[in-house]
Amino acid sequence: MTRVNHSTETMRKRTDRDVILKVRDVSVSFDMDRGESRVLDSVSLDIYRDEILGVVGESGSGKSMFASALLDAVVRPGQLTGEITYYPTEGEEIDLLDLTPAELKRLRWEEISMVFQGAMSSFNPTMKIRQHFEETLDAHQRDREEGLAHARELLSDLYLDPDRILRSYPHELSGGMSQRALIALSLVLEPRVLVMDEPTAALDLLMQRSILTLLENLQDKYNLTIIFITHDLPLVAGLADRLAVMYAFEFAEIGPSEEVIRDAAHPYARSLLKAVPNLDAPLERMRPIAGSAPDPVNVPTGCSYHPRCPLADDECVEVDPGYYDVGENRVAACHHWTKSSEAIPYLVSETDADQGDNVGAIE
Amino acid sequence: MQWLAKRIGQALFTLWAVITLSFVLIRFLPGGPIDYLVVQLRKQGIPESQISNYVRNYVSFQPDQPLWLQYLDYMASVLQGDFGEAYFLDGQVFDILAQALPWTVFLAAIGTFLTTVIGIVVGGFMAYTEGSKFDTGVTLFSTIAGGIPYYILAIGLLYVFAYRLQYFPTGGQVDPELVPGFKWPYIESVLYHAALPILSTTLVGWGGTALSMRGNSISVLGEDYIRIARLRGLPRRRIAIRYVARNAMLPMYTGILLAIAFMLGGSVILEEIFAYPGVGYYLFQGTVSRDYPVMMGGLIMISTAVIIGVLIADLTYSKIDPRAAGEGDRESY
Repeated sequence: MTRVNHSTETMRKRTDRDVILKVRDVSVSFDMDRGESRVLDSVSLDIYRDEILGVVGESGSGKSMFASALLDAVVRPGQLTGEITYYPTEGEEIDLLDLTPAELKRLRWEEISMVFQGAMSSFNPTMKIRQHFEETLDAHQRDREEGLAHARELLSDLYLDPDRILRSYPHELSGGMSQRALIALSLVLEPRVLVMDEPTAALDLLMQRSILTLLENLQDKYNLTIIFITHDLPLVAGLADRLAVMYAFEFAEIGPSEEVIRDAAHPYARSLLKAVPNLDAPLERMRPIAGSAPDPVNVPTGCSYHPRCPLADDECVEVDPGYYDVGENRVAACHHWTKSSEAIPYLVSETDADQGDNVGAIE
Repeated sequence: MQWLAKRIGQALFTLWAVITLSFVLIRFLPGGPIDYLVVQLRKQGIPESQISNYVRNYVSFQPDQPLWLQYLDYMASVLQGDFGEAYFLDGQVFDILAQALPWTVFLAAIGTFLTTVIGIVVGGFMAYTEGSKFDTGVTLFSTIAGGIPYYILAIGLLYVFAYRLQYFPTGGQVDPELVPGFKWPYIESVLYHAALPILSTTLVGWGGTALSMRGNSISVLGEDYIRIARLRGLPRRRIAIRYVARNAMLPMYTGILLAIAFMLGGSVILEEIFAYPGVGYYLFQGTVSRDYPVMMGGLIMISTAVIIGVLIADLTYSKIDPRAAGEGDRESY
């Protein structure tokens, strides 16, 4: 026995819900001089229609690779393998990794769009914002008039003055403004799915919160499915419907965000929550996670978290845990998840669970 | 507006400084027009006793005045557009140089244009094919070509193609029998005479431009906005031209205008080698014969051209890079 396989069963149970993206055994690898570097390791996950999925993990855990994989946009020479199926509407089915270049071009931005961190460097510095919208519309054979009208609406939804933004050069906008303009640009072709890779990392706290609120509004208004990738667990906790915690290039725990926050099953997720500072928990209760994240060329055998895990035993070293059902619609890749809450206690402040809702939009 | 006035003021100050420095330095050169004249007369076999007579009759300038007075006189006349009369050439310095200047500018402009266009196109392709045989080949060529001074190449080209093979003329700007005008035989003759001088600056010059374009393009290709432009499905052509080339060229823009300046300054040697009667050619002749007005005139013309070039570069930079737009020109929020 090398791998406990609970995953197929759990996955089947969950497909009752309306799935928009089905990710199965997706890996990304780079050939390096010192060996094969697997920066995404057989990841499987369902993304439901109209949900906000928060993907959380530390730097170098494979979050950005997961984001790129969802658009089949892994940078060369990375090798993307596995299966990603996209269901634009119920019943319709598109194999994402088997598209012609023309189909792929249509899929990106029209169906699945993306927002990157660092909006300041996401625009061509020698072009006005308006030209970015226009060329995107042109490249996808959309009507400029209609498209720009939609762009104006999106900009207004994001509490920006459309005319002022459109006639500005990128350097004339503040960080928060360009991040919001970038969100508008990513939504101009009315995609169904929006992948956001650390979209608020470069912004101050107030702007982060206000962008999250605006995102919730957008998600409501345009029926978006949002995959929000971040290293900032408390930030997405209030926003996301479900959380997926990444460790060492795979998902450690996936489940409804409130439950995961309140009582995470995976020791890593628990330690992560314990390491996050909040106002209610006294400083002495905060604990950093000892050790460091594994090297993608040389991931530990068995459970990749075992060198840092207080619960690790021989089984963890030898057998890579599959997903255990730890609740309704909730899985964790840990042999000893039942013992984790005892071994790694932590306190959740009330505000962490619903912080996102309390802060109004700031303009 | 205030910035513009300041910038023009700086340009004028530079020009004044150049004129003054040239004036002083030229006067400190060993020898002078009189010595030159004496030598020339002696070469013609005129008896020693008559030479001083000759000189006194021939020479109308007053080298006995104190230097500061000569300087003031000279500045006063230059301000009135009078560059004086050449000692040993026929006519007013201004007229001689004014008819020579277009030829020099023509050589420098074509040379810079070709260097830049070839360099940018080749450099862009090198960046796209980074690490290929083409890339390493051109890099090697550019490094070697960049090490060869253009005047050495000029002499080589002149020797092989003009004297040996006789494909090209050994001097001149145009066939003197043709009537000037925008007619093909005349233009053809002009290009025919300019071919070797232009070739010698372009061949050694484009490699450097290509290398900097290559480096800039590679760094632009790594920018986030290029990746996003691709994800947005923009056509490759648009990304190559509007995104990569445009942004890679920005740091080179000032360099290109300075290259024109460099070519103008280099015209002295180039035009002398090809016996091409432009400003540089007359400046060289003037220097040999210590013909002060011609030297001063030539230096002023070349420096003026350079200063205007730099000024244009400065004033237009904001047009190609919106981030450099002067404060107050646009709202910033």
